[in-house]
Amino acid sequence: MNEQQGLLIGEHFLMGDYAAAEGAIMAGCRFFAGYPITPATEIAERMSIRLPQVNGIYIQMEDELASMNAALGASWSGVKSMTATSGPGFSLMMENLGLGIMTETPCVLVNVQRGGPSTGLPTLVSQQDMMQARWGSHGDYEIIALSPTSPQELFDLTIRAFNLSEKFRTPVLVMTDAEVGHMTERVAIPPPGEVEIINRPQVRKGDMPPDKYRIYQDLHPDCGFDTVSPMAAAGEGYRFHITGLTHDEHGYPVMNAEANEWNVNRLMSKIRDHRDEIIQLEEHNLDDAEVVVVSYGISARTSLWPIEQARNDGIRVGYLRLITIWPFPEKRIADLARRIRAFVVPEINMGQIIREVERCAAGQAPVFGVNRPGGEILNPEKVEKTIRQAAGQM
Amino acid sequence: MPREDTINGERLKLSGYEPTDQSDWVTGLHPMDEMLRGERLPHIWCQGCGLGTALTTFISALQWLEKNQKWDLDKVAIVSGIGCTGRVAGYIRLDSFHTTHGRAIPFATGLKLAKPELNVVVFSGDGDIAGIGGNHFIHAARRNIDINVICVNNFNYGMTGGQVGPTTPHGARAVTTQYGNFEYPFNLPYLAAAGGASFMARWTVLHARRLEWTLRQAMAHRGFSFVEIIAPCSTSYARWNPEGQGLDPQKLRRRGLEVMKHYQKVGKIAHHTHPKDATITVDGNGLITEIIEGVFIDDPKPDFQAAIEQMAHSAKEKWIAAKKTLDERLQLPGRTDYVPRTEVQLGGFGGQGIMSAGNIIGQAATIYDKLRASLTQSYGPEARGGAAGSQVVIASDPIHHPHLIEPTSMIIMSQEAYAKYVVNLSAGGILFIDDGLVRLPRNHRQDIETFGISATQIAEDLGNSRAANTVMLGFWTAIGGVVSKPAMIQSLTDSVPPKTIEVNLKSFEAGYRKGLRIKGRQ
Repeated sequence: MNEQQGLLIGEHFLMGDYAAAEGAIMAGCRFFAGYPITPATEIAERMSIRLPQVNGIYIQMEDELASMNAALGASWSGVKSMTATSGPGFSLMMENLGLGIMTETPCVLVNVQRGGPSTGLPTLVSQQDMMQARWGSHGDYEIIALSPTSPQELFDLTIRAFNLSEKFRTPVLVMTDAEVGHMTERVAIPPPGEVEIINRPQVRKGDMPPDKYRIYQDLHPDCGFDTVSPMAAAGEGYRFHITGLTHDEHGYPVMNAEANEWNVNRLMSKIRDHRDEIIQLEEHNLDDAEVVVVSYGISARTSLWPIEQARNDGIRVGYLRLITIWPFPEKRIADLARRIRAFVVPEINMGQIIREVERCAAGQAPVFGVNRPGGEILNPEKVEKTIRQAAGQM
Repeated sequence: MPREDTINGERLKLSGYEPTDQSDWVTGLHPMDEMLRGERLPHIWCQGCGLGTALTTFISALQWLEKNQKWDLDKVAIVSGIGCTGRVAGYIRLDSFHTTHGRAIPFATGLKLAKPELNVVVFSGDGDIAGIGGNHFIHAARRNIDINVICVNNFNYGMTGGQVGPTTPHGARAVTTQYGNFEYPFNLPYLAAAGGASFMARWTVLHARRLEWTLRQAMAHRGFSFVEIIAPCSTSYARWNPEGQGLDPQKLRRRGLEVMKHYQKVGKIAHHTHPKDATITVDGNGLITEIIEGVFIDDPKPDFQAAIEQMAHSAKEKWIAAKKTLDERLQLPGRTDYVPRTEVQLGGFGGQGIMSAGNIIGQAATIYDKLRASLTQSYGPEARGGAAGSQVVIASDPIHHPHLIEPTSMIIMSQEAYAKYVVNLSAGGILFIDDGLVRLPRNHRQDIETFGISATQIAEDLGNSRAANTVMLGFWTAIGGVVSKPAMIQSLTDSVPPKTIEVNLKSFEAGYRKGLRIKGRQ
C-alpha cells in the first residue's frame, strides 16, 4: 500500500479535531507527539489510528514539554511534525515553541482553546489564548497563527499551516477552539493532486560540500527565499549544529549584542517581510461600510447573523474576518480606520485582539468590543446591539 | 573534512598552535581533531573539570564504532540540554543539537523515531537529566526508546555557580546548602532501572579506558541505555567539599586532580551489582566514601521501534477495510427542495447512543441529502454516564450560528433529559419521546406536539435494546421529515458496527412504520 492510498478523500461528516488530523496527514505530516487534553484529545486519537496507516509515527509523550520537543526533533529528521493541545498544555509548550522559533524549525501546533485561566473550563469554548499565541514564549519574535471557523476550514488551514511552516522554517499555530474542534460538519477533501503542498527547502546528502553549508544563511539567492535558508536533516552528512542560544549563520553560539540583533532581526524579518503573503482575510461589504466587524474563528462566524440583521435594517456594516491572526493586518485596519465610523470586535475573551485593532486604528475610529469570558459562544443579539451602538443608532 | 574549515587560523595563533603540515601529527592534527569543531575551541570548561575526559572517551568510543563498521558517523546525532555538559553538542563535529534545559531526551526521541537509521546519543548533565528533565528520563527508559543517554554527574549545578542538585550527596555543601545538603540524592542507575532501562553503567572519569569500553557497549546496545559518568567540578563542588581539599589556597589549581585521587580511593568496581545496591556512599559530612562502578545491567529487550513496526501491519489492514467501505458508499442525488433552518435536540443518558444518533442525522443530512448540518455535543462530566445531549442544526443555507436558538424538534429518551430540554422547545415544535422511559407530567406543555414510542421495548423485542436510538430515528424520520429516509438508512448503515446493521435497520423500520401510521391518522 502506498501512502497516497492511505489518504482520506471525498466528503465526510467529520469532527473539527478529526479534520485537523486529516489535514495534517494530507499536508504530509508523518509524526505526531501529544498529551491527552480536552478538547484537543480527538486530534491525538485520530492521529494514533491514522498515522500508522500512512507509515507515520504517533507517540503519546509524558507531558506537553516533551510533546513539543519530540515534534521539533522529528522535524530535524526531515519529517513534517505536529502536536496539539489546549490552554494548560499550550502554556507548557511555550518553552519549546521558543526553541522551534530560535532554531527555525518547521512544525505545526494546534491549540483547541478552552476557558482559562489555569485549568479553567476544560470542555467549553474560549478565545482567551490569542495574546499568548503572540507573546507567550519569552523574547522577541514574530509568529504565524491562523484561525478557522469550521471543521472544513480546520482541515484547510492545517494544510496551510504546514505550508507556511515549511516555507518560512518556523512553528505555525492553528488557533482553533472547543466549539470548532468539537463541531461536526461536512468536510470535502480533494484528491491529493489538487492540494497545494509546500515542502521545506532542503539539502540532502551530496547536494553541496558540507563545509560550504551554512544552516542559517541563504545559499541560493535565486531560490526565492530572502531570509530562509535550506535545511539539512540529521544523518545527511552535513554535521551541523543548532542551539537555542543566540547564534551565527553556522548555528554556533555567539554571546554579544550584535549577534542577538542579527539573530532576532532574522527571525522577525522573515515573517514581517512576507506579511502580504501570509495574511489572509475574508471581507464582505467593506466598500460602503460605516461600521466594520473585525473578528475571527467561531466569533466571526456567529457574527454573520447579526450583521445580516443589521444590514437588513439599513446599517452599512462590513465584515472583516482574520483568517491569519498573526502577523496582524495592521495596514488594512489603519486604512479602514481613516474612512469608517467605528469598529466592532466580537471575541470570546475580555478583549485581546481588540487591543490590536485599537493600536492600528490609532484613534481614527472608535473600537467597540463584544466580549465575554469562556464557556459559551457570543450571543448574536449582543453583537447586533453593539453594531447598532457603533453605528450611532442607540 | 578540509583542514582550513576545521580550524580557524586566527584562533590557532592565539593559542600558539601553528600547524605546518596536515600529515604531521606532532605539529599538526590531533587524532581527535576531525571529531571536534576546532573553530569552537577553546572550550568553556574549567581547569580540572572532568568533562574533557568524558568527551575524549566518548570520541574514542565513537571512533572505535566507526573503525569497526558498527556506526556510520554521518548517521550519528548528539543531543544535549543546558549546563556545562550541555555544551558537548557544540564541540563535537557531528549533527548536534543544543536544546532547552532538560529536554534533550524528548527531542532525541523525536529524532530517533522519525528516522530510525540515526544513532542518537543524549549527552547531558545530572541537573539537566535527573532534575528538570527527570520525568523525560524515566519515561524514555520505560518506553525503551533506542537512544543512548550519557549523564555526566558532577553533583551540582556547575554553570550557574554550584547550587545543590538532585544528585548532591546528603550532607554535602553547595552554594545553596552551606549548612550541608538536607535532601537525599537520586541513585541514577537505580532510577533508570526502575524506569525499565535495558542497559546501565557507572564510571568515574578516572576509569577512562573502562568508561570507553562501556560507552562502545552502551551505544551499540539496542534499546534505552544509560551511562552515568562521575566527574569532578573543580570550580564549584570541589570548592565546598573535602574531596577537593576545600578552599586551601595551595590546592586551588589542583582541585580536579585531588578529586580524581579521591575517586581512586573510593571507587569500587563491581559489575552486575543490583542497581539498588550500586550506591554512592557518604559519611556524615557529605564526603564520598564509596562509589560502586561497573556495568550493572545489560539485558536487551524489544524496543519501542520494534513494537510499532509490529503494530503498523494491522493498522494498515484496518485502513484497507475502512477505505473499502468508504469507496462503496452509495451516492444519493440529494435534496433539491429548500430546507429552512431546523434545530434538533437529542437527549438521554450516557450509553443510549444519543451522540451517535446525532451523528447519523447530521451525516444523512450532509453526505446523502446534500444539505448543511452542524452537530455539537454537550461534553463534560455529564457526558460520561449521566445526561447526554447532542444538537443538530440542518439547513439549506449556510449555518452561521451552530447552537440551537429555537429548537423545533426534540428526541428525548430519559426523564432527566425531558426536564432539562423540553422547556426550550419552541412553541409549535415537535417532541419525540421513548414513552417507556419518559412519563409526561401533568403540566406537560400543550403548545407543542408530542409523539411517543416504546423504543427501548421494541428494540429489545428485535434482539438488541441498544438499537432503541435507531427506533427513535425511524420514528422521527417518518413524522419530522427533515431528512429523507434513504439518506437515514445509508447513514445508519455507515455508522453502526457491521454485525449490528441488520438489527439496526429492522429497528429503524419499526420506528418508521409506527411513525407513518400516526402520520396517516392525522
